[in-house]
Amino acid sequence: MRMQRTGWMWLGALCVALAVLGVSGGLPSGSLQAQNARGTLVYGLGGEPKLLDTGDSSDNNASIVQAQIYNSLVGYKPGTLDLVPDLAVSWVPSENYTVWTFQLRRGLRFQDGTPFNADAVKFNVERWWDLQSPYSFANAGRTHVTWRVNMGGFKGQPSSVLKDVVVTGPYTIRFITQSPFPNLPGVLAGDGHFGIASPTAVQADGPKYGSPSALPVGTGPFIAKSWTPGDRIVLVKNPGYWKRGLPKSDGLVIKFISDPAAQLADVQAGTVDFTADLLPEQLKIIQADPQLRPVFAPTTNVGFLNLNPAYAPLSKPEVRRAVATAIDQQGIVDAFFGRQLAVTNGHFTPPVMSWAWSPKVTSYPYDPAKAKQMLAEAGYPNGFDLDLWYMPVPRPYFPTPRQVAEAIGANLSAIGLRVHLKTEDWAAYLADGEKGQFQAALYGTVESLDPGYAYFVRFTPGSTHDLGGWTDPKVLQLLNEAQQTGDRAVLTRDYSQIDEIVFGDAVRIPLVHTKLLAAAHRGLVGWVPSPFGSESFEDISKATP
Amino acid sequence: MTGYLVKRILGVVPVLCGVTLLVFTALHLIPGGPEVVLLGEQGTPEEAQALRARLALDRPLPVQYLAFLGQVARGDLGTSIMSRLPVAAQIAARWPASLELVAAAIALAVGVGVPAGIVAGVRRNSIWDSAAMAGSLLGISIPVFWLGLLLVYLFAVDLRWLPPGDQISTALASTLRPVTGVYLVDAAVRGNWPAAADVAAHLALPAVTLGTIPLAVVARMTRGAMLEALSQDYVQTARAKGLRERTVILRHTLKNALLPVVTVVGLQFGTLLGGAILTETVFSWPGLGLWLYQGILNRDYPVVEGGAVVIALTFVAINLLVDVSYALLDPRIQYG
Repeated sequence: MRMQRTGWMWLGALCVALAVLGVSGGLPSGSLQAQNARGTLVYGLGGEPKLLDTGDSSDNNASIVQAQIYNSLVGYKPGTLDLVPDLAVSWVPSENYTVWTFQLRRGLRFQDGTPFNADAVKFNVERWWDLQSPYSFANAGRTHVTWRVNMGGFKGQPSSVLKDVVVTGPYTIRFITQSPFPNLPGVLAGDGHFGIASPTAVQADGPKYGSPSALPVGTGPFIAKSWTPGDRIVLVKNPGYWKRGLPKSDGLVIKFISDPAAQLADVQAGTVDFTADLLPEQLKIIQADPQLRPVFAPTTNVGFLNLNPAYAPLSKPEVRRAVATAIDQQGIVDAFFGRQLAVTNGHFTPPVMSWAWSPKVTSYPYDPAKAKQMLAEAGYPNGFDLDLWYMPVPRPYFPTPRQVAEAIGANLSAIGLRVHLKTEDWAAYLADGEKGQFQAALYGTVESLDPGYAYFVRFTPGSTHDLGGWTDPKVLQLLNEAQQTGDRAVLTRDYSQIDEIVFGDAVRIPLVHTKLLAAAHRGLVGWVPSPFGSESFEDISKATP
Repeated sequence: MTGYLVKRILGVVPVLCGVTLLVFTALHLIPGGPEVVLLGEQGTPEEAQALRARLALDRPLPVQYLAFLGQVARGDLGTSIMSRLPVAAQIAARWPASLELVAAAIALAVGVGVPAGIVAGVRRNSIWDSAAMAGSLLGISIPVFWLGLLLVYLFAVDLRWLPPGDQISTALASTLRPVTGVYLVDAAVRGNWPAAADVAAHLALPAVTLGTIPLAVVARMTRGAMLEALSQDYVQTARAKGLRERTVILRHTLKNALLPVVTVVGLQFGTLLGGAILTETVFSWPGLGLWLYQGILNRDYPVVEGGAVVIALTFVAINLLVDVSYALLDPRIQYG
């Protein structure tokens, strides 16, 4: 009997050992860091791009990948919104800003050998602008919504800013607009969205262009070699890149890692060199790891609370201002972001556009007693019911939307509002919000090319469905004036006024402007994140030990 | 047996119709569509309507459903709205990764769970029994996401013994020429032993994470089945005949006790193939689960509908295999 018991124990132990060995394949296979080749950068991307066809995508996962493959006509000085030449060496407006002439860089070729010239630029612009173009691929689901948002509309629509695009020489192209459009170079810089693609590749690949089955082709520092859906995109150095000595690395692997904890673990384990879009609470982990350094990426985002005037109690500005006064904005920043990663200041436009701020605008001071009094004076001494919606997914401006909504809910309950927190699936949230079905909701804007754009996409007719179509005529008038000029002094005056009006209207209460948290190995040099998350990795290299 | 198999295979048709109808209806009933995802936060209702028309999503739902069934009947699962890739090709690309992960997890579950269940059943109320059952209770209770992250931090970040994610190291990926798509098999077939060791090391943590719950289920099921079988008269008879205890347990008890265990293992296999979303998320594993989940979030109708067809087929196939295995385990069972 004793032998039998021992035999059973051995059998069990053997099964465990076999199972473990069968699963793990025995001992680990040596230094994991060594497998991450020195000349190849490995970037952890927080999701998979839907498509890599510029002009079509408003997907931030696509922007950073596109920035490695394409160049735009106009670029940004690293880490800023200052415009610098890219594929265009210069751009000159007519006196009234209705004709812009761009001189293009000469002697360049796309990665497939196609010459880069004014015809190639016109081809790209027409496929973004003209939904009837055979290469817009609108029938295959391409939306080119980024173009519509930035340029007012598509060819043939009265709202279209662009009137014509004309090739006036092999390396000269002219944009003619319906009305003065001083922002054109900034729009074409395009935060990674308006890269110039090879016409040959687009024509050959058709609607598949830019997908895993037909990889994108640009003039950029890296050539897309393979795209394994759900896993990674592998890029190799473009040997013919037009910037001498760049890129500094031989290749680039972009791994899709959809969970921030897994992203950071990969960097800590050394299998990924750098990653972005981490959560604020991960800052302490990065700071505690001697191998890593935190990277704070400036952004142009704003996270705000919508107060829909279509809901009767919120139709009064006094009530909306009372709500704003009841929210402990600095407390929210301290609790959920930390002061290294976010600021709250009452301005709808982000700190990188502080030249357009009014000095009169500051955050609503947190004062529950005053808020309660304001509410009573506005006719709601006993408060009212309020459905407060929050998005179900982390966004750059609200990495923890539920917790932020709970904090706001607690603040508003303290002044007598009966707050009901609600959420739903992200696609449904976008759809229902667009229909104006939310009384109060957390929202945000990720990209803002300039103050005019930031206001245009949130305060003009067509962009306020979520506020029941609410608009302020004075804001519209000032925005219209600002669109007619490139004079910085005039713009500063107009935008400052809008800043004050929007603050007083309190339909979109700006809560936070965040910085994005990124992490890199200490040996990685040359990484300067862009405010749009669309920087080129051409200057990045791994330092030799 | 042949007649039985034919009958079962023909039974796939109504199962598929039912599954696709359920998935199709549920998918189209939830708010938002692919046009909302494609247009993003800045799309207008007019643009959304126009895009729905271009994607042929404005047709009546019964018409869309019948068109989808017609496609499936022709062996075409459609094209992803987001990636523009054929759905069948995407499933084919992810299937081996899912199979590799699930097979390893089930191997772990069976390799550890069955012996643990046997010991617990045979030594009822002993310390072995208590340990096995407490362990299985823990296995069922631990959230997969938390366990995965814990293993990553312990073995990949702190100890640096195993990689934190992926199927294979970047540097070795190019050395592995595909045969079946299952990396471990491919590396072994090609004799690429450095790659095989690397793939196995990558597989270890996800397999343990995914295998924990099935392991616990299998252990508890085996114990219960063993206890029931041990109380049967034929076991007493075998003992009375003077057979060795090992023979009684392995030949007479275990074989009968395995029937429900095989059923559970089969069901777990099918469930995990498309349902390992959390494990795939933590370990960036390019499998079917995460892809389907993203398909649902993106309202990529062809992806979700095509995935549902394939997973339903897998379930049917596995159930068929389980049923056939009954006859092998118990000769009294015959299919006519």
